[in-house]
Amino acid sequence: MTNRLLRPKKSMFVAFLLPGLLLYSFIVAVPIFNAIRFSFYQWSGGPKKTFIGLENFIDLFKDEIFWLAFRNNVIITALCVLGQIGVAFILSSLLVSRFLKFKEFHRTVTFFPVILAPVVVGFVWTLIYNNRAGLLNWALRAMNMEGLIRPWLDDPGIILYTISVPLIWQYIGFYMIILMSAFMSIPKEIFEVAEIDGATGIRKAVYITLPLIRDTLFVTIMLCISGNMKIFDHIYAMTRGGPGNSSIVMAMYAYRNSFEMYKLGYGNAISIGILVLSLALILVTRKVMGGRSVED
Amino acid sequence: MRIKAVLSKAGKILANVIVALFSISCIYPMIWMIYSSLKTRREFSRDIISLPAHPHFDNYINAIKTSNMIKYMGNSLYNAVISVVLVILIGFVIAYFLSRYKFKGRNLIYTYFMFGMLVPIHALLVPIFVQFKALNLYDKPYTLLFPYVAFGLPLSIFLIESYIGTIPREMEEAAFIDGSSIIRTMFTIILPMCAPVISTVAILTFFHNWNEFPFALILINEESLRTIPIGLTYFSDQYSTDYTAKMAAIVLATAPVILVYILFYKNIIKGMTAGAVKG
Repeated sequence: MTNRLLRPKKSMFVAFLLPGLLLYSFIVAVPIFNAIRFSFYQWSGGPKKTFIGLENFIDLFKDEIFWLAFRNNVIITALCVLGQIGVAFILSSLLVSRFLKFKEFHRTVTFFPVILAPVVVGFVWTLIYNNRAGLLNWALRAMNMEGLIRPWLDDPGIILYTISVPLIWQYIGFYMIILMSAFMSIPKEIFEVAEIDGATGIRKAVYITLPLIRDTLFVTIMLCISGNMKIFDHIYAMTRGGPGNSSIVMAMYAYRNSFEMYKLGYGNAISIGILVLSLALILVTRKVMGGRSVED
Repeated sequence: MRIKAVLSKAGKILANVIVALFSISCIYPMIWMIYSSLKTRREFSRDIISLPAHPHFDNYINAIKTSNMIKYMGNSLYNAVISVVLVILIGFVIAYFLSRYKFKGRNLIYTYFMFGMLVPIHALLVPIFVQFKALNLYDKPYTLLFPYVAFGLPLSIFLIESYIGTIPREMEEAAFIDGSSIIRTMFTIILPMCAPVISTVAILTFFHNWNEFPFALILINEESLRTIPIGLTYFSDQYSTDYTAKMAAIVLATAPVILVYILFYKNIIKGMTAGAVKG
């Protein structure tokens, strides 16, 4: 009874829901449609727009730099899935164990990089990698390993690895917290029984923990993939895609085309490319990981 | 048996050491920035790792004098704070209706907002730029509020909606019997009860928008409207080899975030991971 009386008028629903919905649509939904529309034009931002049909997409398909950028995105994503989730898995299994001291401190401190601005992380690591003033080369010299010193951010051969390290470093704490809460939800009895059966350390982690936190692991991998398909800030701060095009990623390429070369039509086509490829990668991963579950 | 005990002891120590080393690697770079920024340029180039012999703030004074750092920080603060207030207000109202009432399109609206957590923002930069240009919303003091509020809404609605679900409906029924209108009940009874989740949303939104880079890069051109991440990139280009100056600027740009983190780290860790698992 009261529930019906409490129910506000229809006009009130509209008045309260509409402003948020409109704003949100303007920023999130409308741009997707606009990107599709603009991608059919040749346009440098001025009043003159020329309809060219699918030409931008044909160009995109043949554009080697775009595919290089996609390839770089995929490599960086793979490195980050291994690095972030792998290290986070090891650290969090250590952190939930009985013998680890200062747990609260470790948790708080490893999460600290997560809250930093990606641009700041980029600059901090540019300084760490710096040839003369960097921490990395200082450490190598201190350990008498001068031979390993390299132009960290100027060597196209290693650039994808060197720019992945800050990305991995920044977000380990994030995945660690998620995995830790999954670990703690596993009933203690399971481990006790396993210990009686003689499972220890690594075996416990691989045969018991891993299968039990599968769902969480799945979520973290998805987050990791979608997070790394859109990396931009770090790269902008560290290399802007260079040297040459060796560290270019898709978002960077869209930025360059649209805002440095003023090819807005093509930039929109790249945006559609990013949307489709990110979505495809996520679907494929989902399929692959889902496929495995049918086997077991 | 004794050997085994020693080994397991050694393993425990080793595990502690590994975790401790990693923890240090997470904060040392920032600590290094902070104390190195108190050195002179010459002192730093002589020894990059030592503590400052005579700490001084010249690098900070220079950074503030030669660039508009303070202005940029003010702009970031303005954008972050206003968007926090709007994200909470709009998010709360929508979350309230979605949580309390069944109506046509309710699930559709909820899913629509949650979809925003999946969209790769960077794929939308170019079309958003075009829209803003066309509607004359580009390069204005309020420009950045649009994307900041819109992209803050999904998480805000998700967290507040599930929190309101835990508040018993009897609250509103009692208020109704006492003659309180819906709007009044909503803002004077339910809103204050949501304080814990609202503080989480506020902190997350603040962080996100203080740190935000790509929108500020493409939607703002005017120097006096730049936010701190953009100011930092210009500063860094300008002082590419003056490392201590650069460090001072980085510390300045990060100080508010570090402060908020120290004050609320428990809330922050909980909130950020809660939102993520859903997304």
